[in-house]
Amino acid sequence: MVEPTAVSLQLQIIGVVQTLGLIGIAPLITGIMRKVKARTQKRIGASIIQPYYDLAKLLKKDEVVSDQSSWIFRSAPWIMLISTITAALFVPSFLPFSPFNAAGDILVVIGLFALVRFFTMLAGIDVASAFGGLGASREMMISAIVEPALFLTIFVVSLSLGGTNLTSIASSAANQFASGVIIMPSMIFAVIAFFVIMLAETGRIPFDNPATHLELTMVHEAMVLEYSGKSLAMVQFSQSIKQVILLSLFVNFFVPVGMLTPAIGLSAASTASTALSFLAKAMLVSALVAFAETRVAKWRLFRIPDLLAVAIASSMMGVVFFYFWR
Amino acid sequence: MILAADYSILFQTIILVFSSGLANSLIFGRSTVARIASFAPAIAGSLLLVIFAVLVSISGSKVQISDPFVATIPALAINLYVDGMAAFFMLILGLVTFAVSIYSIGYSQQYSGKNSTRSFGFLFNLFVLSMLLVIASNSIYSFLIFWELMSLASFFLVIYDHQKELNIKSGLTYIVMTHIGTAFILASFLVFYIQTSSFSFDSFREQAPSIPQYVRDISFVLAFIGFGAKSGLVPLHIWLPQAHPSAPSNISSLMSAVMIKVAIYGLVRTTLDFGAPMTPDSAWWGVLLASGGAVSCIIGVLYAAIEKDIKKALAYSSIENAGIILLGLGMSVLFQSYSLLGLAALALLASMFHSLNHALFKSLLFMGAGAVVFRTHTKKMDQLGGLIKYMPWTALLFLIGALSISGLPPFNGFVSEWLVLQTLLSSYQLPNLALQVTISVVSVVFALTMGLALATFIRIFGITFLARPRSEAAHQAKEAPKSMIVGMSITASICVAFGIFPFIATSLVSASFGFDKQQHFLSLQTLSPFAVLGVPTSSGALTSSSMSAGTVALMMGCVGAFCAGLLFVASGRKTARKVYSTWDCGFGQLNERMQYTASSLSQPLRVVFKILYKPHNEAEVSYFTDSNRYLKKSAKVETHTRDVFNEGFYQPVVKATTLVLDTVRKMQTGKINAYLLYIMIALVAMLVLAEVTR
Amino acid sequence: MILLQIDLLTISAAALLIATFAVVVRRGFLDWLSGYRYQALVLAGVTAVIGYITGTWEIYVAAILTLAIKAVIIPKVLLRVTKGLSGQLSDFNPYVSVRSSIIISAILVILAYALVQEMFANSRLDSVARAYLPVALSLFFIGLFVMVSRRIALNQIIGLLIIENGLFLFTVSLTHGLPLLIEVGIFADILAGIIISGILLSRISQTFDSLDVGKIEQLRDD
Repeated sequence: MVEPTAVSLQLQIIGVVQTLGLIGIAPLITGIMRKVKARTQKRIGASIIQPYYDLAKLLKKDEVVSDQSSWIFRSAPWIMLISTITAALFVPSFLPFSPFNAAGDILVVIGLFALVRFFTMLAGIDVASAFGGLGASREMMISAIVEPALFLTIFVVSLSLGGTNLTSIASSAANQFASGVIIMPSMIFAVIAFFVIMLAETGRIPFDNPATHLELTMVHEAMVLEYSGKSLAMVQFSQSIKQVILLSLFVNFFVPVGMLTPAIGLSAASTASTALSFLAKAMLVSALVAFAETRVAKWRLFRIPDLLAVAIASSMMGVVFFYFWR
Repeated sequence: MILAADYSILFQTIILVFSSGLANSLIFGRSTVARIASFAPAIAGSLLLVIFAVLVSISGSKVQISDPFVATIPALAINLYVDGMAAFFMLILGLVTFAVSIYSIGYSQQYSGKNSTRSFGFLFNLFVLSMLLVIASNSIYSFLIFWELMSLASFFLVIYDHQKELNIKSGLTYIVMTHIGTAFILASFLVFYIQTSSFSFDSFREQAPSIPQYVRDISFVLAFIGFGAKSGLVPLHIWLPQAHPSAPSNISSLMSAVMIKVAIYGLVRTTLDFGAPMTPDSAWWGVLLASGGAVSCIIGVLYAAIEKDIKKALAYSSIENAGIILLGLGMSVLFQSYSLLGLAALALLASMFHSLNHALFKSLLFMGAGAVVFRTHTKKMDQLGGLIKYMPWTALLFLIGALSISGLPPFNGFVSEWLVLQTLLSSYQLPNLALQVTISVVSVVFALTMGLALATFIRIFGITFLARPRSEAAHQAKEAPKSMIVGMSITASICVAFGIFPFIATSLVSASFGFDKQQHFLSLQTLSPFAVLGVPTSSGALTSSSMSAGTVALMMGCVGAFCAGLLFVASGRKTARKVYSTWDCGFGQLNERMQYTASSLSQPLRVVFKILYKPHNEAEVSYFTDSNRYLKKSAKVETHTRDVFNEGFYQPVVKATTLVLDTVRKMQTGKINAYLLYIMIALVAMLVLAEVTR
Repeated sequence: MILLQIDLLTISAAALLIATFAVVVRRGFLDWLSGYRYQALVLAGVTAVIGYITGTWEIYVAAILTLAIKAVIIPKVLLRVTKGLSGQLSDFNPYVSVRSSIIISAILVILAYALVQEMFANSRLDSVARAYLPVALSLFFIGLFVMVSRRIALNQIIGLLIIENGLFLFTVSLTHGLPLLIEVGIFADILAGIIISGILLSRISQTFDSLDVGKIEQLRDD
């Protein structure tokens, strides 16, 4: 293992194509979430491909930047986009593997997300408005408490499935499913925790409302309030990508139905079936998230730690269940 | 081929160079030349020291340095010895001193004409030299002498700005706490002395396996408390956030970056060197170290997150990072006691790599904060802001430090924190259920620390450098002198280099600590930037947990180029960028008082962790008329947080001590007969005692 | 088949713990009640699983009784009792904040598992006892903790009921079914207990106009 991991060019190209596919469907997933949310609220809602139109339109628009801001504000969207796309390269989604997995594991993905958060908060502070600071101060508290919940969940997942490399986690999840274990007891707790974390990380409703611009409730939107034009497009796109990465992690960790196992082998037909099942699962889970979002109200900021405490407690029990049933 | 004797000569040269720095600062008076004359030897000496340390650790040689004065005073023979372990810490010292000495040339100009620059240069060189000699010491004598010299030099540097009342007070707290620590270290060494009847570390090393376990336990606990006090272990940390910020900023960076590491060195030496061999009986050492480290982490970062003084916040964050280092060390001891040698090496690598990283970015951050204070003359973050426009280079370098310390890719902090996380994730290999569960709880604490550290440094950087300036002083700021920028950019570039090419640092660590060749899981043979860091299993193979920082950085670069190219093509026509004022909801006249401040930014955290801060708010509102409470004339809100350790632990202790001493004071009657009586009683009692015990 | 059995056991144990946490995380009386109802449902399922594995028909009866009494009758009785009460039914200011009590409950669960591991280290437990004993102990601990940490008297009753569930699970998983007569007796006992505590509640609320147990301090004769 001393050698630098050499991956054939062919596999690398497959990996890049997979990532392009993943970031390609990112706005679609956002569109589906909005549609499901609209329908459960008895609205018709915009078309599910509306986010693509939005991005295209924003790219053509002129930009306004604040006279108080510095290069941090201007470069932040680039860093957000680059980090999320790099993270997407490590995540197996349509295929059960990612060729770059030896170079970056799930902790790298989380580190890249933290980089995104860092610059989002700085951009919020940089514009010298009260909104940006407000968003940043709330995000600070939420993200600090999400971190232990997230790490402990990874602890459970990596204990149960082995390692922190995403390919090995995904493939051992698929193998286990194929060998008849529907779900491991420790993973039940991890699912609960990861679902809560997914809501927190993507700024869904009990934590944050992605559809509001009201200062009482907004967190993420407050930080990026000053962006317009191309920069706004990049911010929104990177947010969509982050969401779809978390979705595919969720799907590949916990719902390995229809996932390609190494035993079956890679062929055109099996790849297509895996990709299709991934797409179906991702849409289903995103619809579930949107549905859950309509079921609850936005929580008061200082009750949010309660929900994250549930995630922490749940993954703690996951650890216990793993250790006592080994 | 370099002979051991050559190393010895090189080392003596280094000491001579630093000593010439001592002399220079006394010879030259108060001119600009004096500044250069006292810091130039330090620059040269530290550069030589880096070369020396790297050579020693790569060659794996052990250097015995003969004392040139041994013939004159044999009783005070100073026994110096440098092995890989010492060389690694010398590397830290050399790297940081090199950058800080260059920085100090510019920084010390503010003292010319005010304080004695002569003593400043002298103490600076003395401080560095004593740290160097502590690391090189090979006997109780020399270790304690240089340890004390180090403490005294740093004490005088802490109170260097003695015009400020507060600095004197923090200096006193420091000197008291550091001596309590020294007492414990002395006791720990004496336990060894009683067992081996030798003052030399060599005999400790040789005879350690034959010493009974309980004696080693006692010695370990004493060393843990003693060195822990110096490295800011909670609850013995109380002096650290007072003393480090009080010192001039270049000294703060030396104290936080290196002096803490000297304490860590002492702990590493006593546990891994004198404590060997580890058995499952000594597993609790690891638990003690790891849990002590975890407590330090979380307490340190929680106070750093709400601190309003920029240097104090950095000092609290040093407590946090020392905690991370101790956590890694504890895990290493734990794995070693169950003979999981591969994992023990991984944990030690994590811990030592983090020591190196912390030295780099913390000195960078303290130098950056020093540059800010140098230009604005305030440490209060609520009076800063917008400095990125006036001090662009300082801001950029500080940002690199902040990104590194927050553990973000592709910077060095990320790699070492990745290693610590992997160490914690490997705890399932421990054969004991209680340990497994304990470590999983510790890892929650560590993860919370990482989350809070991110918040802390966003807050420090954002409030200090971004948005509008909050005071006139911040408005007037201009870029720091060139030498200061150069000093900072040295550590900053090493931070980036270690982040992208961690193999340089990891192979240095594994060479210094002589990791067994069989246990090699790190690419030592292929020094490739794309080599993979991995986690070993008991069979020696890697598990499926790996990461390559170089590749991640390369991929980020490629993605960036790709995005830029795509946007260039996709956007088609050139879009304009208009500069306009920030959105003000249509009211107009946004000003600096409307932005978030350091206190308001951390308000949600204060509420969530209120058990620890015990915040209390005082609101003072005046009205135009008392009858109508809707029309407010003015409102003023003050929030205070309290240090629960100070109130719950130190104040009662201090109170009790004063009470006892007050009682004892009654003995001091002022009458000469009474004093004679005491002498008589003492004499008689001693004679009786001698008779009884005979 | 063996593999599937163990999984059924652990998954149902996990479900029971999750159901218990549903009571801890919430703050309103109706939420507690629905949490308790959910817990009773899962408990009935767990009892049925034990019955299935051990093959004793008495346990099925106990499961049906659990379903009928704990999931239907007791919530009904409690609802009826509380209808006439004055004072706040929800606990917005517990002695221990919700987020701390969640973490403490998780630690209690860890403790329960560790204790069972220690206590029965030498005795050979069958798979049923190994799966459910720690859960039973956790329920016992969490129930106690709920009683200790909350202010509203209703919560003490819910805590008591959780403890009772824990004890029930303890006996069933250890003995694989008591004689039916004793089971029925226990169920009758709980019902009586609930009715008595209902009366007590209404007395408290009449006297103090509140269900806050902190007010009971006033009864102390100083």
